[in-house]
This record gives sequence, structure tokens and C-alpha cells, in this order.
Amino acid sequence: MSEPAVRVRDLVKTFEVTRKSPGLAGALKGLFRSERTTLTAVDHVSFDLDRGEMVGYIGPNGAGKSTTIKMLTGILTPTSGDVTALGLVPWRDRRAYTKSIGVVFGQRTQLWWDIAVVESFRLLREIYGVSEADYARRMKVFDDLLDVGRLLPQPVRKLSLGERMRCDLAASLLHEPTLLFLDEPTIGLDVVAKANVRSFLKEANKLLSTTVILTTHDLDDIEELCERVVLIDRGQILWDGSLRGLRDRHLPEARIRFDLNPIPAGDPAELSVGPWRAARLSQGRYQIVVDKREVGTADVLREVVRDLPVLDLAVGEPDIEEVVARIYRENAALRRPGAEALPEGGAPGAVAHRGVRRG
Amino acid sequence: MRSLRFHARLLALYFAQYAKARLAYRADFATAVLASFLGTAASFSVVLLLFSRFPHLAGWSFHEIVFLYGFSLLPYGFFNVLSGNLYEFADRYLVEGRFDRILLRPVSPLFQIFFESFRLESLQEVLTGAVAVAWAASKLPGLSPLGLALLPLWAVFGAVIYLSVFGILTASSFWIEDRVGLAPPVFNLMAFGRYPITIYDLKVKVLLSTVIPFAFASFYPTTLALGRTSFAPFFWAVPAVALLFAFLNRAIWRRGIAKYGSTGS
Repeated sequence: MSEPAVRVRDLVKTFEVTRKSPGLAGALKGLFRSERTTLTAVDHVSFDLDRGEMVGYIGPNGAGKSTTIKMLTGILTPTSGDVTALGLVPWRDRRAYTKSIGVVFGQRTQLWWDIAVVESFRLLREIYGVSEADYARRMKVFDDLLDVGRLLPQPVRKLSLGERMRCDLAASLLHEPTLLFLDEPTIGLDVVAKANVRSFLKEANKLLSTTVILTTHDLDDIEELCERVVLIDRGQILWDGSLRGLRDRHLPEARIRFDLNPIPAGDPAELSVGPWRAARLSQGRYQIVVDKREVGTADVLREVVRDLPVLDLAVGEPDIEEVVARIYRENAALRRPGAEALPEGGAPGAVAHRGVRRG
Repeated sequence: MRSLRFHARLLALYFAQYAKARLAYRADFATAVLASFLGTAASFSVVLLLFSRFPHLAGWSFHEIVFLYGFSLLPYGFFNVLSGNLYEFADRYLVEGRFDRILLRPVSPLFQIFFESFRLESLQEVLTGAVAVAWAASKLPGLSPLGLALLPLWAVFGAVIYLSVFGILTASSFWIEDRVGLAPPVFNLMAFGRYPITIYDLKVKVLLSTVIPFAFASFYPTTLALGRTSFAPFFWAVPAVALLFAFLNRAIWRRGIAKYGSTGS
């Protein structure tokens, strides 16, 4: 396919925020004049999503993820810029567009709270005009993959978070949307529920070649599901590519964490392992941070096991929050006055600028 | 036309689902119906009490007043059945963010707001009102058959007027953060429609026939049946007033939704 499923160009969203002064005097003052601040939530964002692609859209809280998703789903209208999704403009052709997309907000259910799950599904069947035959066939698939069959007679309010999420996912796919938005689909789920949701998404993506855009805090979601991540911070895209590439470029670290038995004499704060230093985390537990650009993790492991009385050992990588925090710091450093080529405030390309105006 | 059929089917389904969920708690529902009926009975008995002292009120007989009062319960009852979500709109939809979900469905947002919840017990008002009208009609000689035949349709127009006025007031939450709002005082104005408009002074008459056109919902619709021909222009204006306010309501909601789209609140 030459035409991408979603095409985003120079998307900008600003909000006007009224700054409230504290106290009664402030409230009174606010009656007469209020200080308005313009906040740029999404700042010239551009990307394409190909059909059948599964993309992770990540970034810290307040980075502009949700605002972007809300524009892509047609809830919000952008301040400027273009979105063409499935050949439509989401906020302008909302009714037609919502027929071919599915949306899951991890924090909120789209099912009717008080009625049985199956009744919600029947309403959705009617709303999206799904035929009885398609409905039956799809419900069978949802039951196989998500085990929703036994949940159907229960009212939504009685379901656990994991059960509710499974039902919500099924509901969002009932009309076989070509484009699926998932906002934190695994938030608050336990390990088993997360695994279920992920394998379902993988399966659904494969079976229906649905284009999926996923926002999450959970690195494992991305790692298991997405070839590609788009990282946004302060409204701007800082990375668009593979997760491995993102990590390798910005935080190429591995953390080797191990427990020693017996505990080394004197419970030292640091141990030497060959040329590397292991920092004490707690009694008997140490960690070596390996810079992968300099040395292979396996080489370090070998020496640790050889030199020390290791009882247990684990290798980890920095999680997404850390990678993002690192990128954010680098990003902030670039923006300091005097840093080359980045204009201060106002100009496109500057990060989340604020302008104050009296209203 | 297809959209009309689609929405009509959906309404029937919404209603059936809601009723099913509601009737699952029989005792709870029975209590609600009883409480609602007692409320109606109490306000009705005020009229009866009044007439035990004055057999005529500004030229209106007791049976005419019962007719009028009974009719006023029809649009009022329909309105109450459908208005449950309007009161909760600001808190449940805008503050809690459910409005996003409304916008994500290929169904008219206003339709979803009106028909996602029902106050079933208020059907009692419609029934009580119908019984009162039937009784009063049996006691009143020479009612206009056309006037009687049009009553049900005019009751629907009346409900449209109430829903549109409160729809407009509800839509103000898109712009105003004040959660108390204008709805309660306007709601109290609905009680004025239970009596002949002739008993009020000019200011009230004008108010109820213009900005807040409640007289078109519950008083003017009875005038044809009761043979009060001087109100004929008002009677025949009822459908137009209903359509006008429905149109206004829709236009204001459109702007509200556009505003929501630009601010997200």
C-alpha cells in the first residue's frame, strides 16, 4: 500500500490556561482580570502510520501523548496542522470516521456500567451495524482469545480491572476497525492479565492487519508488541524508530544485579570486579552498570560469576521512564540559552513555549 | 430517513436495556415509583384544597383546572423520564471525561446524552396525568374533538419544548464552570404551567410565552379542547415553538461540542 493509514503533518495543539491567584483576594482579582497562559501541548508533530503497523507512542506524563491521540480520534480539533486517517479528517468527518476506528482507554470503560457485558455488546452491534453472522463469529474469536464468554452475563461494575479490559478490547474490535487506538491498555493489570492482553493484541493485529497505535508507560508492552516507537516530550517528537535503536543511542546500559552469599566481610559499599565497580544496593546485593558501547554484558557476567560467590543474578535494562528522562535531560541541555541554533520561544521547533497575555 | 430509523431502533434498544437493568432491583424501583406518585399526589391535592374554598378560579371551573393540571403532567412526565442525564451532564460527562466516549461513537452526541439513562418512575406522571385528563373530560360537556385528538401529539411537542430549554441550559456547561447553574430556577417555572396563564400578571405571561416558553408546553395545548378560542393562535403555534427551540438546542450543542473540541473541557 502506498497510501499510509494515518498521515500527520505539523500537528499543533495549544490550550489557553487561566492562571488563578491564590486566596480570596486572588479570586476577587480573577473576577476582573485573569492572566492567561498559552500552553503548547503538541508542537509540530509529523509522522505516518502504515497499514497493519503497530506503533508505540510513548513519553512522560504531560508530554502530549493523550492530546495527540485525542486529535487522531477526532475528539479534539488541532490548533493547526493536518491529519488524514483512513482518507478522512477525524474531527471533521467524525461520524463516518468513528465507524472504522476502535478506541480503548485503559482508565475508562466504554461499556455501559450497569448492564450485563453481553447487553453492551448488543448495543454496540446495533450502533456499528454488525450483522448477526459476523457478530457470532467474532464473539467466538473473542471467547477463544480473551476468554470473555463467562464474563458476558455480568454487569461491568462487577468485573475486575483485568476482566473489564478484556471486555473493552473485545468491544473495541467488534466492528473490526481498520485503525485501533489503545491508551494505556495494560495499566493496573497484573502480570497474567498483561500477558493475555498483549498476546491478544498481537493476534488481532496479525489476523485483521489492524493498524494499532498504543500509548503506554510499560516498556514491556512496547518491547513485545511494537517494532517502532515514537517518543514525544514536551509536545515534540524526539525519536521515531526502533526501541532498540532508541536505547542504544541514548542509554546503552545493562544493569547486572546480583546477590552474594556469604555477604562480603565488612559489608562494603563498593566491590571491584576486574576493572568494574559494583555498588551496594542492600545487604549482600550489588549492581554493576555496564556501558554497552565499551564492553559486552556477557564478558562482565563471566567475571562476576568467576570472582564472587554469586547466589542469584539478574540482568536488566533501563526502563522507558529512565531512557525518556535521559533524553529529556539532553533535550533540556540543548535548549539552554546559548545552545546552538535553537531559537528561544515563539518560533516553530522551540519546545513547549509559553506566552503570557492579559485578558 | 435511514438515520431516523437507525436512531429510533437504537432508542428502543437503549430503553429496553435500561429498563431491564432498572427492574433487576424490583423493590428499589417500586419504592421510586411510589415516592414519585406521592409527590404528584401531594401537588395535585393542593389544587383540590384550593377548590374546596373557591369553586371557580379566574373564570376556570374545577374540572377545567383538573383537565389542565392533568395534561401538564404529560409533557412534564415525558421530560422527567428523559432528562436524568441533563442534570448530571457537567459532572459525569464533562468533569469525569465520559464525553470523550460519546464523541467516539458514530451516533449523534445529543441523542446519547438524552437517551443513555431514563427516569422510569416518571412514567407514573404520564399515567396519572392521562387518568386525570380522562376523568375531567368525562365531566366537561362540549369539549372539541379535534382538541382532544391533538392532545397526545401536543404533549410530545410540550416535552420537546421542556427538553430543548433544559438542553440549552445544560449546554451552557461547555462555557460556564458553574455547576449549579440556571437549571433549578427554570425548573421551578415549570409549575406555573399547571394553572391557566390568565391568572398571572403580564410579566409572567410574557416570560412563559417567549424566552422560557413553558406556556406552550402545558397551557396553550389544552385551550382548543376546552373551547378557549381566544388562545387559538397560541395553540397552533405550539409545533413551531417546539421545532424552533429544538433547532436552537441543536445549534447550541453543536457550538458546545466544537468548543469542547478546541479546549478539551
